[in-house]
Amino acid sequence: MVSSQHDDSAKHVVDSIHGNIHLKEREVKVIDTPSFQRLRQLKQLAMAQLVYPTATHTRFSHSIGALATMIRILGSAEENGIPFEPEEKENLRLAALLHDIGHYPYSHLMEKVDSIKLIEEEVEGAPPTAKAIDTTRSKYPEHEEVGELIVTGQDDLVKAIGGGERAKAVADIFTRSKAADAQLSKLIHSSFDIDRWDYLLRDSYATGVPYGHIDLNYLLNNLKVSPQKVVGFSDKALPAVEHFLLARFFMHRVVYYHKTIYGMEEACRQLLRRLRDRDGEHYGVPTDGEAVKNLVTSRDLRMFTDAFVDNIIQRAVDDEDSVVRALANSIQSRKPPVLLKKVLVCEETENQYHAGKWFIQNCKAKLRNLADEFQIPLQQFLLCEPKSTIVKRHKGPTFGQAAQMKPDQIKEKAFEEEGEDIKIFVGDDEEPTSLMDIEHSLVVKYANYFFQMFRLYVIYEGEDKEDVVTQLGDKVKSWDKAE
Amino acid sequence: MDRQQIGLKLTVDGLNLPFQIDTFEDRLILQKAVYLAQAAGVNLGYYYHWYLHGPYSPSLTQDEYAIGYELSQDLDDSEGWKLDDESTGRLEKLKNLIPKSNRPELRRKLELLASVHFLINRRQVRQNDAREITETLKRFNKDFSEEEVQNALRELIDYGLLAA
Repeated sequence: MVSSQHDDSAKHVVDSIHGNIHLKEREVKVIDTPSFQRLRQLKQLAMAQLVYPTATHTRFSHSIGALATMIRILGSAEENGIPFEPEEKENLRLAALLHDIGHYPYSHLMEKVDSIKLIEEEVEGAPPTAKAIDTTRSKYPEHEEVGELIVTGQDDLVKAIGGGERAKAVADIFTRSKAADAQLSKLIHSSFDIDRWDYLLRDSYATGVPYGHIDLNYLLNNLKVSPQKVVGFSDKALPAVEHFLLARFFMHRVVYYHKTIYGMEEACRQLLRRLRDRDGEHYGVPTDGEAVKNLVTSRDLRMFTDAFVDNIIQRAVDDEDSVVRALANSIQSRKPPVLLKKVLVCEETENQYHAGKWFIQNCKAKLRNLADEFQIPLQQFLLCEPKSTIVKRHKGPTFGQAAQMKPDQIKEKAFEEEGEDIKIFVGDDEEPTSLMDIEHSLVVKYANYFFQMFRLYVIYEGEDKEDVVTQLGDKVKSWDKAE
Repeated sequence: MDRQQIGLKLTVDGLNLPFQIDTFEDRLILQKAVYLAQAAGVNLGYYYHWYLHGPYSPSLTQDEYAIGYELSQDLDDSEGWKLDDESTGRLEKLKNLIPKSNRPELRRKLELLASVHFLINRRQVRQNDAREITETLKRFNKDFSEEEVQNALRELIDYGLLAA
């Protein structure tokens, strides 16, 4: 644990990850607003606590942790001779503190409702009317956009931040809307995501799963900022960087995509989507993006917490629709969807034929008949395919090709995507190079691979559950093979 | 493909653009075309940030790669799906704003239109001040002239993407 810098601090909080975090007066005022206190009621890991009982930490503690990380980055920038105006520095700290202020109840689970496909849309034989995308309906805004609305629209926060103009300046940073300063823009975009540094450690600590224990101190101590304000790491920290990437991959595999957690969260996503889109009772599920925007800019924001969704689930348990009831009961009674079959695939990205592909094709072709045969509503089958990679290689020049490029060609490289790239300072170079161009990096070798989990679940609670699940499992066990 | 990705694929098809992501230029063209489609009222749900080449959505990039991967596997989940009529009509109209020129010219035009719209929409600049917009773009090493910016403003208004 480390202690963040504490010049002119008004208060300090003790944090399990970062130790003492010294807060400035304005930050204390922001934290004390009802709008910020809402984050105490948003669990960082949504439904993970149904499997890992101690994973009850919140967006509140993560947000303060993100501030602690930003303090260290700013310290490093100044050590590298990159000066900041006092107000600019204060705004960056506030932006870190407020970067998650726009999260939905159960975070990404609710935010992504518009992306959810329903099983009846996917399987063969779906009527054409089911396969319509209505883009006139406003989508649920991404949490960063919600954050901007809250920071600039909730009076308590505007006042605590120091007025509307200042609030907009802060929101412009975390929404990355700021176009006034190209150098500052680079610093924000290339700062290796303060978000991940904190959440990996915090999630690991809270779940008890050790894979997320990245070497934060070593990473921070080897942070460098170039004269062009690009953030990167000294090359001696390369193993710590590689460990970070592997840690993220394993946390996805073990925690974020855990079969039970993912199944429960998928049931909840499906429930919210079905309630939102039907003609009958929505139980308060916002009907479109505009409804979300109205909600988060009103006093009702304070109720937009995990309890908001819990209440919807509670009411849906007695719904007249049997599918809605089944989904809600599964979550409320913690009777998770049963995994009928999983197909784990680790393949080269270019590989056209793999077991997961056959599995999905067979599910689409045969699931309707299977549902009919067992007289289980098709909608109670859940098909999921979460995917993760250790490091992504964007299409572009390879190391060898890049070495042959002329300066003006290099400028044509994907600057925007480089914002998500990790940078390494090789030797005494003033400007860093992409991790993807480090030939001796182990994780770069994995950039050509993806890992994906194809899963078919069923929600069924009949008295013959054990037999039915066994029979269903037998039926689908060879669905990962081509026919 | 999830629903959002299907909507994206149909939108790109609706603009008569190839779903091509091999080069940075290809991806930039898709980013800016989708930005303009959303500005025209085709709600796909992508949130844009300001990057060195104007508005950019990281989640759109992820979806582009996901779709590109599926297409490379001869899978196109968008087959059989369709956009609503109103959005189809909006894309039909927007197509006229997208020049049928070579890729570098297309990239330049879309980058200018999307950037100008973003700066105004996010209140980074004033709509009636073409000089301020030009100066802001210059900070990002964009050599758009004030006249080009004025033309872009006019086109954005003509196509209903900005209020007059």
